[in-house]
Amino acid sequence: MTTAPTTRERVSQRVPLWRDVIVLKWVTQVALLLVVLGTMWFLASQAGDNLRARNINTEFDFLERPVDIQISEGIDTHPDTGGRALWAAMVNTLRLSISGIFFASILGVVVGLARLSDNWIVRRIATGWVEVLRNVPLLVQMVLIYSALTALPRVGLDTGPVNGWLHISNKGISMPRVFIADGFYQWAVVVLVGVLVAHFVRRHRQAVQDETGAHTSPTLWALGTVAVFGLIGLFIHPIFSWLGPVFDGVADLLGSLPNAVPQVLLAAIVVGLAAIWIHRFISSRRSALGHLSISDDDCFRIAFTAVASLAVVALIARWTGFSAWTLNSGQDLFAVMADKFDVDGAARPFDAMRPDIIQKGRFPNYGTNGLSMSLGFASVFFAVVFYTSAFIGENVRGGILAVPKGQTEAAKAVGLGRGQIIRHVVLPQALRVILPPTGNQYLNLTKNTSLAVAVGMSDMVQVGTTVFNQTGMTLPVVAIWMLFYLSCSLTISVIVNWFNVRMRLVER
Amino acid sequence: MTDTTPTEPDGGQTRDLSAARDMIVCENVSKWYGDFQALEQVSATIKEQEVVVVLGPSGSGKSTWIRCINHLEVHQEGRIIVDDVELTNDLRNIEQVRSEVGMVFQQFNLFPHLTVRDNVTLAPIWVRKKPRAEAEAEATALLERVGIPEQADKYPGQLSGGQQQRVAIARALAMEPKIMLFDEPTSALDPEMIKEVLDVMKTLALSGMTMMVVTHEMGFAKEVADRIIFMEGGQIVEQGTPQHFFENPTEDRTKLFLSQIL
Ligand SMILES: Nc1ncnc2c1ncn2[C@@H]1O[C@H](COP(=O)(O)OP(=O)(O)OP(=O)(O)O)[C@@H](O)[C@H]1O
Ligand SMILES: [Mg+2]
Repeated sequence: MTTAPTTRERVSQRVPLWRDVIVLKWVTQVALLLVVLGTMWFLASQAGDNLRARNINTEFDFLERPVDIQISEGIDTHPDTGGRALWAAMVNTLRLSISGIFFASILGVVVGLARLSDNWIVRRIATGWVEVLRNVPLLVQMVLIYSALTALPRVGLDTGPVNGWLHISNKGISMPRVFIADGFYQWAVVVLVGVLVAHFVRRHRQAVQDETGAHTSPTLWALGTVAVFGLIGLFIHPIFSWLGPVFDGVADLLGSLPNAVPQVLLAAIVVGLAAIWIHRFISSRRSALGHLSISDDDCFRIAFTAVASLAVVALIARWTGFSAWTLNSGQDLFAVMADKFDVDGAARPFDAMRPDIIQKGRFPNYGTNGLSMSLGFASVFFAVVFYTSAFIGENVRGGILAVPKGQTEAAKAVGLGRGQIIRHVVLPQALRVILPPTGNQYLNLTKNTSLAVAVGMSDMVQVGTTVFNQTGMTLPVVAIWMLFYLSCSLTISVIVNWFNVRMRLVER
Repeated sequence: MTDTTPTEPDGGQTRDLSAARDMIVCENVSKWYGDFQALEQVSATIKEQEVVVVLGPSGSGKSTWIRCINHLEVHQEGRIIVDDVELTNDLRNIEQVRSEVGMVFQQFNLFPHLTVRDNVTLAPIWVRKKPRAEAEAEATALLERVGIPEQADKYPGQLSGGQQQRVAIARALAMEPKIMLFDEPTSALDPEMIKEVLDVMKTLALSGMTMMVVTHEMGFAKEVADRIIFMEGGQIVEQGTPQHFFENPTEDRTKLFLSQIL
């Protein structure tokens, strides 16, 4: 008579490879990696062959060639090369996105809180704001704002709310510009010292607070310290002029080093970083009681990191050009810094200029002295800020509503006041609901600035289009666009994720 | 606090608290939710060190009443005086009462983003302005008192229900309250966890804390309560010692209630 194997027998049997979970996992990981790499290689080589066959140029040398482009505003309105034009356009897009994200966040929080207000009128207005802005296409809003702004009075030498200082006209807004001058770098060192001191001040105030229970506002003190240093620095910054010769010395030293030094250093850094990462990773897998539990997935990650770091080391050893380049750049960097510190002792850290108006042909326009915002920029800016504020407002409202009522009640019951409840109980919990979708809105805002082409503002897309029309280099320009928008998105994601991880709740 | 000699409640035996100070005084308290009257002329006085258990069918207004006492709900008529402070619209009175009255909820309501220790020290640090080191030392002592000193660095989400409720008790005790309110503290717990929470509450009662407890745990009521208040339809129907209440209640509605639950 045959019986089914008992449990014990089954365990003692060797598991065949095709049923071993651990083996299967490793095989799939490696296979997947090979498939991905293979596919990428195949597509790249195919694309290369095809492009070559059709004689499509994919070189980036057009960046150095002259173009004839006029840019609506920014660091350079008449760039002489394609690369410079794209660079100026990128600065414009970044200005739009960063300031847009900043103001949309503030306005969004206001809108979200207003939606929850006890005041009926405030609540209605906020609801109307959200409903209208969400439901009208952004492009329509942008054009609407643009046509409203063109109704402003014509620019002239004596127009503007404050003659000579602030102009608001059909050419946009222009105001005095503050910019960094020769003494800035010395001043920056003073501020850096201030930041260092502020760190200790903060620690000290925090210690006093923990010890005595008195509320010592450590953050406020730290900010105050930096401000004081910044202020004093305006007058005493030349005390750091001795840094110029020091940097010169460092540059000379770097110039005299043999190539082996950066090679060894880079290799050590790469291996060190990998080791630190692996060490941290392993200790993060350790439970509070010290039990180590590493899954197969973790093993794979550790192995991958080790192999990758060794590969990079091999690359550094073989490819001497890279280490030579780092050495040269280091030397250049210090030479440039030495130059920045080698200034007349009386040089101011900051300077300012009043806006000017120049007569260009028949039409007067703002010159380059002032800080100007064109109508195009203003329309895109207000449109994306308003539009995004509606979505962020909804996120804020949802996040606050997501904190259970019991939390506020428990906080009240232990005697916390209104402000303390918001700061210590509601906000930390609401933020973790608000942040992820708000990160998405930041990404959307950045991408939406590309609609600027509709109101003649020179952003990345508008200038890129002109560049490839003039040079015929469509693919490289598209590649630059993709790289640019991808970097923006990744930067935003990294920042938002960093906050998310810090906010995450620990659950069982 | 000197006019009473602490006497231990032992097995439902009554103790004489008539000479003790009044801790909670409710005079004709009424409350409406819209047209619906949730409390109707509720009057009761709770003495220092007294343990009062509030019983009643679902929807009878037990939670509403107990939540009025630390102003989580606002009563519309009548007076509530807690430790000689009357609850009015005055924010200062409300905050004073709240810092002297601890409350434990059915759903624990621990702060999920803070560790157990930070849950306990939050109010002492920010309301009582205690030094952190002192607050943490007290938190450790309190967690020991409720039997979970080893969980201080965990987050609420990592604890069992019974452990969470004991943290909630420690959090309330950290403000050194004179009165503790419990609103069905064991109703959300699995049977095997109920005992650990009730044990903590018993020791608290023995230590002389003034307590008002809404519960369905008849064993606890019989053993620990000085007085039982029975509510129905927003009114106090009957009150008395556990002996009186469980053995010869006078009101028909009380009898009906007891016949349903016992
Ligand atoms: N916020 C509210 N709005 C309207 N009605 C309410 C509100 N809160 C409570 N009620 C009503 O008031 C009455 C008393 O409610 P309460 O929560 O005090 O009852 P309870 O005795 O605690 O019941 P349970 O034993 O089920 O907890 C119930 O009929 C309830 O429907
Ligand atoms: Mg209830």
